[in-house]
Amino acid sequence: MSPKTYDAIVVGSGMTGGWAAKELTEAGLETLVLEAGRNVTPADYVEHVPPWQMRFRGLDNRKKRMADQPIQRECYACDEWSSKFFVNDHDNPYTTESDKPFLFLRGRQVGGRSIMWGRQVYRWSDLDFEANLRDGIAIDWPIRYADIAPWYDHVERFIGISGEKLGLPQLPDGQFLKPMELNCGEQVVRDALAKHWPGERVLTIGRCAILTEDHNGRAACHYCGYCERGCVTLSYFNSINATLPAARATGKLTLRPLSVVHSLIYDKKRNRVAGVRVIDGDTKHALEFRARVVFLCASTLESARILLNSATPDFPNGLANSSGELGHNLMDHIMGGGANGKIAAPADKKPVGRRPNGIYVPRFRNLQGGPKSTFLRGYGYQGGAGREGWGRGSDLPGFGADWKKALRQPGDWGFGFYGFGECLPNHNNYVEIDKTKNDAWGIPVLKIHCSYGDNEWALMKDASIAAAEMLAAAGAREISPFVEQNPPGKAIHEMGTARMGRDPKTSVLNGHNQAHDIPNLFVTDGACMVSTACQNPSITYMALTARACDYAVGAMKRREI
Amino acid sequence: MDRRSALGLLTATAAAAYAPDELLSLGRSFHQRILNGTRRVLSAQQDATLLVLTDLILPATDTPGAKAAGVNAFIDLLLAEWVEPEEKDRFLKGLADVDTRARAAFGKDFLQGTPEQQTALLVALDDEAARWKASPEATRGPEPFYRNLKWVTLFGYFTSEVGALQEEHYAIIPGRYVPCAPADTLSPSE
Repeated sequence: MSPKTYDAIVVGSGMTGGWAAKELTEAGLETLVLEAGRNVTPADYVEHVPPWQMRFRGLDNRKKRMADQPIQRECYACDEWSSKFFVNDHDNPYTTESDKPFLFLRGRQVGGRSIMWGRQVYRWSDLDFEANLRDGIAIDWPIRYADIAPWYDHVERFIGISGEKLGLPQLPDGQFLKPMELNCGEQVVRDALAKHWPGERVLTIGRCAILTEDHNGRAACHYCGYCERGCVTLSYFNSINATLPAARATGKLTLRPLSVVHSLIYDKKRNRVAGVRVIDGDTKHALEFRARVVFLCASTLESARILLNSATPDFPNGLANSSGELGHNLMDHIMGGGANGKIAAPADKKPVGRRPNGIYVPRFRNLQGGPKSTFLRGYGYQGGAGREGWGRGSDLPGFGADWKKALRQPGDWGFGFYGFGECLPNHNNYVEIDKTKNDAWGIPVLKIHCSYGDNEWALMKDASIAAAEMLAAAGAREISPFVEQNPPGKAIHEMGTARMGRDPKTSVLNGHNQAHDIPNLFVTDGACMVSTACQNPSITYMALTARACDYAVGAMKRREI
Repeated sequence: MDRRSALGLLTATAAAAYAPDELLSLGRSFHQRILNGTRRVLSAQQDATLLVLTDLILPATDTPGAKAAGVNAFIDLLLAEWVEPEEKDRFLKGLADVDTRARAAFGKDFLQGTPEQQTALLVALDDEAARWKASPEATRGPEPFYRNLKWVTLFGYFTSEVGALQEEHYAIIPGRYVPCAPADTLSPSE
């Protein structure tokens, strides 16, 4: 019996896989979504389990974590509650050169990393899409802002973004629900920036995929504060809260968890991907699934790994890799240049409720028409203000009843700026298959070669100085600038292993995320990115995915694929 | 699901409706057991000493104190399962040192002292810890036991059910964000 042929196979069910599933099924395609990990539903969410119901009250089971998840625990969200949403490092190994550490932080489950993502969403602009061309670095993006703008609109209207419109050319406004509010401490810093750097440095509330109003059948945020543990009111966007249910509602979705994709099946005669080889996550049996079109939405590194593991005599260095660029140009935002300080904000005020969002300062370096820095590109800041709580008791002299009473009042106002900088594309940052090592399903793993260059570190150094300068302008005291020495991967914004471009000789994908070499193969996760900008990338992946789906459906209708 | 019905569902049954049952019941029975039961690392003497020390740091006032929060039992759990062997040794040595100091000061173990004697000893430890904190990092010695004790007392208390709910007025579901509320609002700020 020949297996059923689906219209489309989507590999991955996270940020982009959920979007591909929604768009393709809504266009009428019978779509199979293959997810490597287990099923997750809102019944797995734990955001309302208080510390006293956790064995270690939130200190985490550190011995178990160090044994099972020594790499994943580097992510702030991999804690006593949410570590179940991160992979076991022994089942999911990878290798690096000893002097080039890379943190590969992963969630293999239905919903992928969209369950624990940071939820910050910022559009890119032509400052970003034209950057490589302007600087003569790597290759030009095959698209411009005008190509993606309607797709940003489309995605934002569905997922719901709260934010403030600013009218800044480097950070286009979107379809916003009402913004969350800045607290008193943040208002003080915002006003100081407006006074000292009018029109140049702007502090706004974070634009985030968290609802401030009921939206598309999902409830507004109730400010419990721990989105990365899930959300039973579906108030932040992830694929199991929004896109996968929409896909399921069409009746065209088949979602298969525990389906670890090994490689793609190439039909040389037709020059098409015929289907997908899968290792069943439970039984470890090999399976095959067939489809007219295949979307890789497995993440930057996993999609590259699948293509590299799909080498054939015609594509000896990886499927769809006639350019030789597959696996290359790996990038991740550099993060961790900034400053902290204590600010003079109203002592008789404090924020109430746990707002799962902070502030944002859009890029202000190397803007078009502005002064040029000694480095290329720029950075933006996240961060925020808050008051010290009971934790300050450790350093507050005294004990007993009066001391306990003193801790009831909030302590000093603190403020932190935390920079995220652009990472330049570099052919020498790349991944390859490590033939000496397999994962728990017998699939060869990646060897990752990646390190930051001088420009990235120069950005973070400048980010720490500029942050200290802004805190000083806001009248802060005890200002501590810092530059964290984070390895790449830690920002979990990895991009660029199968870049888009106009020329098949220098890029893997065309301007519609379609493989130059094989027309029924699309890659729409972070692998497609040609540069990183400094904004959080997920909204751009989602918009590119929706755009690619629209193109693929059209091409199928036209019988091109 | 609209916001009202979603929140109604949540507040009616709190986390129980959605948290994995086994996790909740495990947590409950576990914490009940450590509240009532014997200790796995601490001797009866050490446990009783910690009970007095932690309750002096965070006594019952108009809200329950460290004793009611079972901070001593939480410390026993950390010593049994969480800390590295050398951290455990250091903590227990620090605890033994409290008795050494007590015998030097008033000729008895800490537990056998009067409340006044116990408080006076704690004042000395607290002053010492403050001096340590104020001295240059490069030249000061290892962190005093008392700082460890004070931190774990704070943490154990404020993450306990009584500490979080009655003293901090921690709300699992605040339901709103008020950016500039009066500082004495009885609701979480973090």
